[in-house]
Amino acid sequence: MATQSATGPETAVNQRTLSIFTGRRGRTLKEVVLAYVLITPAFLIIFTFGIFPLAFSVYQSTLRGLNKIVGTYDGLGNYTKAIGNLAYVLGFWMAVIFLFLAVNALIKQTHVTKKYEERPWLFTIPGIVLAVGTALFVRFVYIILPEVLGISESLRAAKQAGSEETTAVLFKGFLAEIWQKPDIQRPFWTAVIIFLIAFALIYIFLRLLPRSPRNSSYIATFFQSTLLIIGALFLGWFTLTEVQAAYTAAAESGETLEIWTQTITISAGLVLLLLSWFIWRSANHQDSTAGTFIRLGAGSLLIIGAWVLIGELPAAALSGDDDWYLGLLNTVYYSVGSIPIQFAVSLMLATFLFQDIKGKSFFRMIFFLPYITPAVGAAASFRILFSGRVDAPINRIITAFGFEPLAWLNGSTGIFQMIAGDGVTLPTWAAGPSLSLVVIILFGVWTFIGFNTVILLAGLGAIPHELYEAASIDGGNRWSQFRHITLPLLSPTIYFLTLWAVIGTFKAFNHIYVLRTGAALGTADTASIVIFDAMKRDTRYGYAAALAVLLLIIVMGLTVINNRIASKRVFYG
Amino acid sequence: MANIPVTTHAPETQLHPKSRRVDIGRIVIYIVLVFGGLLAIIPFLFSISVSLMNLTEATGGALLPSTPQWSNYIDAWNEASFGLYFWNSIKLALITVSGQVIFSTAAAYAFARIEFPGKNFLFALLLSTLILPEAVTWVPNFITVIWLDRITPFKWFNNWPALTIPFMSSAFSILLLRQFFQQIPEELWDSAQIDGAGHLRYLIRVVMPLSRAALVTIVLFNFIGSWNALAWPILVTQTPDWRPISYGLLSFLDEAGSLAHLRMAGAVITILPLILVYFFTQKEFTEGIATTGLKG
Repeated sequence: MATQSATGPETAVNQRTLSIFTGRRGRTLKEVVLAYVLITPAFLIIFTFGIFPLAFSVYQSTLRGLNKIVGTYDGLGNYTKAIGNLAYVLGFWMAVIFLFLAVNALIKQTHVTKKYEERPWLFTIPGIVLAVGTALFVRFVYIILPEVLGISESLRAAKQAGSEETTAVLFKGFLAEIWQKPDIQRPFWTAVIIFLIAFALIYIFLRLLPRSPRNSSYIATFFQSTLLIIGALFLGWFTLTEVQAAYTAAAESGETLEIWTQTITISAGLVLLLLSWFIWRSANHQDSTAGTFIRLGAGSLLIIGAWVLIGELPAAALSGDDDWYLGLLNTVYYSVGSIPIQFAVSLMLATFLFQDIKGKSFFRMIFFLPYITPAVGAAASFRILFSGRVDAPINRIITAFGFEPLAWLNGSTGIFQMIAGDGVTLPTWAAGPSLSLVVIILFGVWTFIGFNTVILLAGLGAIPHELYEAASIDGGNRWSQFRHITLPLLSPTIYFLTLWAVIGTFKAFNHIYVLRTGAALGTADTASIVIFDAMKRDTRYGYAAALAVLLLIIVMGLTVINNRIASKRVFYG
Repeated sequence: MANIPVTTHAPETQLHPKSRRVDIGRIVIYIVLVFGGLLAIIPFLFSISVSLMNLTEATGGALLPSTPQWSNYIDAWNEASFGLYFWNSIKLALITVSGQVIFSTAAAYAFARIEFPGKNFLFALLLSTLILPEAVTWVPNFITVIWLDRITPFKWFNNWPALTIPFMSSAFSILLLRQFFQQIPEELWDSAQIDGAGHLRYLIRVVMPLSRAALVTIVLFNFIGSWNALAWPILVTQTPDWRPISYGLLSFLDEAGSLAHLRMAGAVITILPLILVYFFTQKEFTEGIATTGLKG
């Protein structure tokens, strides 16, 4: 806070000097209170409808039942229904990732402590206690959640029984009843006491240990790592009990299970892949001959790992939900099919628009129109344009060129299969997106080209003009200017747009919901449509929540990969 | 301007062929731009054209109507309760947008100008919601809304609160506004303080007028969002009382079945207001979007 006032102009500081000593603390406190007052409404909304749903989804995904707010507990049941035995593998690997993140944070901190020659290791004590308190509080939330959710049912029952009380009075009554249960009281007060101890410890240790501006970040790291480790242990334990329960159930019905062998084989495959990646990277530091050998070794590890995975993954995933797999495959087709075209076209349009041409802002406005058009309205016209009827506009155009009319939105056959002809039967994964999905991809491209063009255009405008002048003096032609100036300086914008586009394809819903037809046999349904159907049509809330959590894990994985690539390829400043 | 010297240094003889090549390049550029522009608006032109046809033309696959049937719009408007959907969407959009402007501006100002403990943590929390797919929130928010509907005295389900309150603030708006607020020079705050203005007065009198482009962007984005909302309204509305226009159009598309001209008239009715709003705000809007994209 001191640094903030020091950055202001000298005169302002001088005028304030007299009152600073008396009023500074008071004023800072007032500012902090004001800040919290300002952010509270926004955070209340974002927390209730944007952050808490994550924890709530995880809770719901362990419940089973039709049209039930609080279903019966089913453990990993929904997940095994969705992705088969892969659910157990995923559980263990999420635990491993948590552990890795914890260790990674601690290692990063060691570098900092070495750099400043500090010894903050005693801060582990308040950090751990605070993390334990948080974990206990989360446990408390999960204990009280079904009880609080149940209030609505008991309230309705009381009203139907003819209770005269108002809703507010009844609600307070039920809440008080829940609150007085010892099963609620004990976890709550344990969490509160541990929290209080943690805050006292933080205060004491901050006083005792040598002062440093990094102290609070040290405590934060220990807190975060402990929390991750607790999460990893819990997830590992939970998955383990689920596996054991599955084995017990199988033993009773006389079936044989292969969860352990599958888990071990798939994990071995993944470890081999990771190893090969690390070895490949280390080859960069070696001279050429050694590097080649190391790369060869890495390559062979990669092949073995991939071979193991290809052999085992389908077997483990076999008992999963085919609709869900098809939804994921369609989402991948949708991403891979739309994003590259979208970028190639909008990069071209942006560079063209960036030239000194007439009607620049007119073109920009026209290109942007599809993005702001209500998706249902635009999809309605696509539904007629790309209808499967022989006299539909697009079919009339292609027949005018001498082609056969196509089924378009009603087409369920993969396009590679159509190209290969009836003589060959391709496996499902190689058949390619159906014609129906191709129309949806075209719609996506049509919508997003304008958005990308406008942002890329702004990115082009931010590149200093001198660079191009220097390049043209050095004799660089248009292409080399584009390759060596435009692309690198545009890379942050492109990175932002790709991340946005990838997340966007996983979020896409409206136009797909409007454009899908019964005749397409689900070949146009992406992951979010499958989730919506599970929720709205089947009212299987727990299952829909489990699918949504899986989707989130995928999106998070993609974001991490995108960040990794970006940190190497993106050129900032 | 600055590169004129470079071209004038070029030998006289080269000037002529070079300028001709540039001309051909320009023609290609114009052709590509016009072609792209046509592709962008053809679905609109097609909708408008079909919406003015009579039934035989529309089902027979004609390209242009022989005589424009303006009555189609009246028929579509009356057939589905477009008037109601229209009014619903405008009301919902207004409620959401005013919430957004008040709550997001307040939060964005706190993040941009005030130092407070926990700021970094809360900001990171905010950022993390950006990658959250909407699908993750369907189940929990639906249950939350049902629960709130039963325990609070006023109705949530199938009513405006369920359709507006969850969207009254978003990480995206807060980030965009914060970006703009941070660009406002520090000196303005100092002189405002000398004039005796506090944070709130400074925010309303100085910061908000200076961030017109950002505010317009937010208003338009949320307006589009309300207008486009489909999945969530399907989940939380049962009767047309509060059904917004996209959902209304979707049910009309299924009802109108083979009456393509009426379906297109409904689509045009839905599309037109947003296009109009966009025409009036497009300068600020493009600026606002471009700034967000640049800063990432």
